[in-house]
Amino acid sequence: MIRTENLTRRFGSRLAVDRLSIEIGAGEIVGLLGPNGAGKTTSLRMIAGIIAPTSGRAFVAGIDSAAEPARVHESIGLLTESPGFYERLSAERNLAYFARFYRAVDAPRAARAALDLVGLSDRAKDRVGTFSKGMKQRLALARALVHEPDVLLLDEPTAGLDPEAAKELRALIDGFRRVGRSILLSTHNLTEAEELSDRIAILRTRLVALDAPRTLREAREERLVRVHATGWNAAAMAAIEAENCVLQVSEADDGVVRFRLEDPSRDRPRLVALLVEHGVEILEVVEETRTLEDVYLDLVREETP
Amino acid sequence: MIRRIRNILAKEWLGMATTPSSLLFSVVIPLLLVGQAIFLSWILPRFLAPGALGLETPGVEGLAEVDRFRVLILSQFRFFVLLIPAMVANVFATLSIVEEKVTRTLEPLLATPVRTWELLVGKTLSGAIPALLAAWASAGLFVLLVCLLGWGSLLDHVLTASWYLSLFLLTPAVSIMSFVLGVIGSSRASDAKSAQSLAVIVVFPIFALIAIQVTGLVWFTPLLTGLVALGLGVVDVLLLAAAGRLFARESIVTRWR
Repeated sequence: MIRTENLTRRFGSRLAVDRLSIEIGAGEIVGLLGPNGAGKTTSLRMIAGIIAPTSGRAFVAGIDSAAEPARVHESIGLLTESPGFYERLSAERNLAYFARFYRAVDAPRAARAALDLVGLSDRAKDRVGTFSKGMKQRLALARALVHEPDVLLLDEPTAGLDPEAAKELRALIDGFRRVGRSILLSTHNLTEAEELSDRIAILRTRLVALDAPRTLREAREERLVRVHATGWNAAAMAAIEAENCVLQVSEADDGVVRFRLEDPSRDRPRLVALLVEHGVEILEVVEETRTLEDVYLDLVREETP
Repeated sequence: MIRRIRNILAKEWLGMATTPSSLLFSVVIPLLLVGQAIFLSWILPRFLAPGALGLETPGVEGLAEVDRFRVLILSQFRFFVLLIPAMVANVFATLSIVEEKVTRTLEPLLATPVRTWELLVGKTLSGAIPALLAAWASAGLFVLLVCLLGWGSLLDHVLTASWYLSLFLLTPAVSIMSFVLGVIGSSRASDAKSAQSLAVIVVFPIFALIAIQVTGLVWFTPLLTGLVALGLGVVDVLLLAAAGRLFARESIVTRWR
């Protein structure tokens, strides 16, 4: 549904997006992660046909976004970073206004249906100016859906929402996958990206990584065993370092030492036995797994010039 | 295309109807200008010294001196009336565009199939049409008050071909110019007040027209009025082209702040 080929955008001498190539199928959610200024919003805007690429191309449902933006707009729903609305108009009038720009859309009916979908039917006649941030965000999602597009481009959909409102919105987005919509979700929220996305794209001007969250984690897995204990002594450390299965030892404060083992599952009992044998009193032994955040931070740091 | 422009018009007018300040402004300004023209036509001839009138309205020979002077004053209303679209259209433009900027509705709007020129035309018409109607309604009110004050016999000398040309050619041209300048100003301004400062570009030449005629430097004959209207029409086209460039999707998203 969405395909980009070497999508590049410069603003003067500044390179905002560098040769982004990505493909998103029907019913797939791809989370777009990256630090501020990484080119996430610019990429969404190019795919949406709002700004033109300097080079490369973006296609939505096979239509070139730069060549035929009006046709692309018929098939996409864009949720912008700020959920802008005409505050003096009601929620229903706002949605109907946007709906009337699309062909073959019965605007009043579509507006009511979209409001119903995001649970705002009871506030349809109220002025948007009276809405909370969470309600405006849901309304913005309703606007993106009012013409029932196949493709959703969501820019920071849960930014600034309280945990409950964010959870509700995530549940709504998750539901769209099941009806076959393709979703490109730009977010700073790594937990949200991991929870919702089938694949994650990490962008820092160029595409740094693109894979399923689990695959990303596993590819950079450093299986560390963290031991919290008292009574650390030189003999114990020497004994451990003499073991072939111990690849690296790194000490931290407060009696915590991390061990990189060849195979943590196999080698952990041996490690514990050695420590006990040398009089170390173990308080806790934990195998540390890397979170998506660790992987993300590593990848972003590696890309920092 | 027509459907989308109609949609923009309906929304803009609904927005105006729910903004008391813009409604009040579009009523108060015309009433003030009509009142001012009528008051000047009533008060100034009272201070006219016999034989003091050096300036004559063409075709008023045979009228009493006071009536000749009154005709001169009443004839200026065709220029006073231009101030109505100049000010009203500009206020509507700046309110409309600055509201879009402040509420950040432009980007979601640009993600719909609306063409940017449709947006520009819709917005221009939404401001120019009420401004034009306000100007014409003011002209009607002016004529009515002139009759009620017993000066109806002078209307033959006031409602000339130049008067009608001014009303039906100059007024629309000024409405469009004022609105488009409002749009251009708004694209660079972050609040309505600074955007409205561009309105003076339209208002000062109108005062100049009044001054030129009252001082007798030039009398606006139908031909001259038509030529001024034509000149303004050309300026309108150029301004619309400039606004069209500012209204490009990319420009709105990346340069409007």
